[in-house]
Amino acid sequence: MNVDSPKRDLAGPLLDRLTGFWRPLRNLGAARSRVNGSRSLLTAAEFQEELAVLGLSGRRFEPEHYSDALGEYLNISITVHVIPDSWYPELSRLLAISGRLGELRYSEQLNLAAILVPGSLPPLVLTLTILHELGHLAAGDLLIEPDEQFEEQDQHAEQTMFETLPLKKGKKLARGYPFAKESLREREANLRASYALFAGCLGDDSPYAHGMYDVL
Amino acid sequence: MSAAQHQALVLGSVSFVAFIFFLCFLLPSKRTKFSVFAACNLLFVTLMFGAVALVDLSGGRAEIMVAVMTELPVVLIVAWVCLALAGGLPAQLPAEPVARRPWLRAILGSAPLVLLLSVGLATVVGLVWPSPALRVYAPAPPQFFVLKGLIMTPEVIYSGFAAMVFVMAGRATGLKRRFYFKNLAFSVGMVCIALIALESTVFAGLRVWPSREARRAILETLNTLEACLAICCILAFIAGLSLRYTPAVATTLLHRLQTGWLRTQEQFESLEWQAVSSGAAGRLTHASDAVVEACRIEGLSESDTQRALATIRLVAVMRDPSSETQQITPDAARKLYELQEEILYDDVLASKISWAAGWRSRALEPQTVKSAPLHDALKAALELVDNHGESEDVRTPPLWYYIVAVSATDAKMIDSTHLSMQLRDGTERRAAVEAYDAAKRVLRMLEDHD
Repeated sequence: MNVDSPKRDLAGPLLDRLTGFWRPLRNLGAARSRVNGSRSLLTAAEFQEELAVLGLSGRRFEPEHYSDALGEYLNISITVHVIPDSWYPELSRLLAISGRLGELRYSEQLNLAAILVPGSLPPLVLTLTILHELGHLAAGDLLIEPDEQFEEQDQHAEQTMFETLPLKKGKKLARGYPFAKESLREREANLRASYALFAGCLGDDSPYAHGMYDVL
Repeated sequence: MSAAQHQALVLGSVSFVAFIFFLCFLLPSKRTKFSVFAACNLLFVTLMFGAVALVDLSGGRAEIMVAVMTELPVVLIVAWVCLALAGGLPAQLPAEPVARRPWLRAILGSAPLVLLLSVGLATVVGLVWPSPALRVYAPAPPQFFVLKGLIMTPEVIYSGFAAMVFVMAGRATGLKRRFYFKNLAFSVGMVCIALIALESTVFAGLRVWPSREARRAILETLNTLEACLAICCILAFIAGLSLRYTPAVATTLLHRLQTGWLRTQEQFESLEWQAVSSGAAGRLTHASDAVVEACRIEGLSESDTQRALATIRLVAVMRDPSSETQQITPDAARKLYELQEEILYDDVLASKISWAAGWRSRALEPQTVKSAPLHDALKAALELVDNHGESEDVRTPPLWYYIVAVSATDAKMIDSTHLSMQLRDGTERRAAVEAYDAAKRVLRMLEDHD
């Protein structure tokens, strides 16, 4: 996923110097938020709450409906481009070599998100790849400033608490803040994709959806 | 026995019957957090009213304390219901209409704090200015109305909000009938509580203002109304709790599918796609082109062609593993096939799990575990690569399988002697060989032409 941040006009040595002063202060604030901000990975029940916010809980839906509802909620335009191999044969090869299945581009300035996926992907992988990228948008992963110190890989149990980062600005669907570690953000996007696929297939047969109508 | 004792006896008896019903019928069959809480609350109410009926606690601050204590069970019920609707209990989802409205969630979530604070404040008012709270028909000072109002006003508001949420939840489109009636029953119960609280406030007002002659008859009517509402409320809650629904798919099974089957299949298919797209499976390109052409020559359906293509890809990846596809082994393929079979064993689940065959495309039928080419391809590829002639399946393989077998042998992905052991030399095999040879000629001509 790539983010196009708005470019600042006031570039120059003075700004660079001010940025130099500002960075330690900002990191101090971020460190404090990391001390307080932690949460576990998203559960299927928590995802059902997100679906309720989008008006999709208890309904059967396709990834298109999820994308439309998410775009409307976040007030951004989300477009999915499934690119046939005949149009751009190199895309599949380049993505496959890089070990990726799709690409998410986001522009804060234009309020626009574009998901690019090769048309040659098997249907289930195509669906899950699109849902995975939509999961990044729902989590607000594109609205944080990535911090390299958190980039090491890890595999923990679902209940473990992980550190989060605050948003720069913008709106997200998730209740919690995005994880500081990229590997965790990817893992959670995978979880969102699988939850979305099953919730869309099962509709009101989902035990989590039924829990929202059977509170007592 | 005073009127207050008489009223307490009636309410205590009703509560006791409800408690026994809970204990004997509801708790053993469905033990939810609310049913346990309601049972404890009913026992508390029974003991409370029983004590008031047996001991004449008229006069002074003792009356105030008993009056506040008798209000407490209902206040706790309202607080619990509001908290449950707001998703504030551990491992509890909010009601669907609440999840969509943060303001409603905030209001309902504040119920325990506001209600208990108001009870506390009312207790202070009552203790500072004592009033005959338990003497039902006696005239009371204005402070008594303040005391009642402090407890009842938030109770009316929160019960009203809870009733509204239950109605909204019950009216959701496409909802199962059982949920509709369940939420309706709880809504009726909460409306009854709101009406009792409202009636109680009016009752307190009547004790403060009207003359002695008019008061008695009206208060007796209100007392009867309150008893009726209380019975309605308990019956409505019992009806709501009795309506049970078991989801078609259990949470544990769903979790297993999400972390087991889906993860495995996605990993399997994506690794295979990466191997094919990056050209890692070198021998594949020619073999797959020939297989598709041979299927076309034989006039096979699109689904059979896709099965054949998926099978030759699998065989190629399993026989020619690269660093990316080293996880696609016969063992991994067998594990995935078994997981798929597990889903297919459950007809309800298998019919529900599907995914679109294309983005925003209604022209193509959605794929299911059964209809997706990978399911048959896994079985076919395992037979070709890993079976060594031990197949227990005596049925004649379909033509697409023969085409894949011939192609895989020609591309040296599998051993020709192994193939001879597996496939009888019949009409299907001869047709497959002829179609494959013809396909190769066509492809060669096309290459020469380019």
